[in-house]
Parts: sequence; structure tokens; C-alpha cells
Amino acid sequence: MNRKALLLGIVLGVIFLGSGGVLLWQNLHKPQGAHIEIVQDGKVLYTMAYPTAETRTFRIESENGWNEITIRDGSICISDADCPDQTCVKTGMLRSESLPIVCLPHKLVIRLEEP
Amino acid sequence: MKPRRIAELGVLTGIALILFVIELRLPELTPIPGVKLGLANIVTVFCVFRYRAPETVLLVLTRIFLGAVFAANPASLLYSAAGAALCLTGMLLVKPILSEKQIWLASVLGAVLHNTGQILAAILLMQTTAVLGYLPVLLFSGCIAGFLTGMAAQLLLNRKIL
Repeated sequence: MNRKALLLGIVLGVIFLGSGGVLLWQNLHKPQGAHIEIVQDGKVLYTMAYPTAETRTFRIESENGWNEITIRDGSICISDADCPDQTCVKTGMLRSESLPIVCLPHKLVIRLEEP
Repeated sequence: MKPRRIAELGVLTGIALILFVIELRLPELTPIPGVKLGLANIVTVFCVFRYRAPETVLLVLTRIFLGAVFAANPASLLYSAAGAALCLTGMLLVKPILSEKQIWLASVLGAVLHNTGQILAAILLMQTTAVLGYLPVLLFSGCIAGFLTGMAAQLLLNRKIL
């Protein structure tokens, strides 16, 4: 095995183990005193406490389409959208500060922000 | 380009597209967006090591464009293109240093760069760094998927019949 290939293997190994470690930390770390932010196109549209006491459903419209947001059981999810891939709907409830709900076609992000 | 070469690349583009469409129809492993096997990558790795760089670039561009058409998802085009550009550049750069038993390393590098490119495109387009949180899970799953598709391509490339 030549040197350069070995180096490449080591770099990739470090990336693999490193990302695995961060992934583990993301799953074990529970956000405290955080709040929910709904951001579209870089602008904050709504903020609310997390966990939230609200229960409601509303739509966010943009020039590209709409997303239906549902707030229940203390958390938030995108329950419907008019895009073809439905990625944001499949993501489910917001759970972790490091994994926001993202709708790429409508540039919409729902995330947890820690103070 | 010789007619035979054009025909070969056409068939390979077709195979890549079929793999891409089949994968769309398979149930998803996790609800995390972007985590996927990337079966079409088998064809990309095969091309990188079998054909010249411009031919591979042509094939991948065609695959991405037609893939977005077949998936009826034009929004994904930019993200795929950003991922593929980084992925291809990386694979072509490391190609000369790898032996025929180390081809899978190029595939893993390609997967890592593909996911990095997609996240970078998302950061630029959405004007937020929130999507960075997805990088670890994408890198981790990308390494595994890249290894599997890379090994598939390596087995094919090392068969003297093809």
C-alpha cells in the first residue's frame, strides 16, 4: 500500500469516527431552556418557548409554495407541504437542537435555539 | 468520441438513471433527509476509473439533469449538482494514487464530498447555518454507503470480461 493511499485512508477513517462521535453527542445532548424558531429565507418569522403549551395548525405561504405547521405535545412539525419530495414532512417532530426541520424548496427552517 | 464509446456511455447513463429511480421507490431507511445508499454512485465510480475525465463529467451531468426530471423535483437539481461537482473533483484527483484494490477509498471520499457539497449549497441558498447539524449524520452514513457502492464498482472494474 503506497503512502498517499494510506494517508487518504487515515483521513477518511478520522472523518468516519469523528462524525460518528458528534452524531452520538447530538443524540445524547438534551436542549434546555431553548426556544423554537421558524425561519424563512434567513428571516425569523415566529419564536415560541420549547416545550410549548400551544396546540394549533397554520400555514406558511411563500412565493414557491406553502407548508402546514402543526404545534402539539410541546413540539412542532411540518404536517403537510405542496412540494414533491415531502422531506420536511417525513422528518417528523422537532427533537434536537442540532437537527432542524428543513424544507429546501421553500427555504424554511424550524430549529431549536439555545440561549 | 468514437461511436462505440458514445454507445457505452449512453448505456451507463441509462443504468445510472434506472438505479436512481429504483432507489427513489425503495422505502427510506431513516426519516433524516439526505441519508441514502446512492446506488447511482456505482456507475460514477466505474466511469471515473474506466473512462477519461471529460466523459465521466458528461455522464454525471446528464444523469443529474435527467434524474431531476424523472424525480419531478427541480429544486433538488442545484443541491445534486453542488454535491456531484465536489464529489467528481475529489475522485478524479485521488484516482492516480489508488491501486485496483483501493478503488473503494475514492468512493468513500466521493460520498463525503458529495454530502459536504450539498450542505454548503443549502447554507448558501437558505442563508442559514442551521443545516450544518445534518453534516455529521450525512458524513457517517455517507462513509458506509460510499464503501458499499465503492466495493460494488471495484468488483465490476476488476472483472476482466467487462
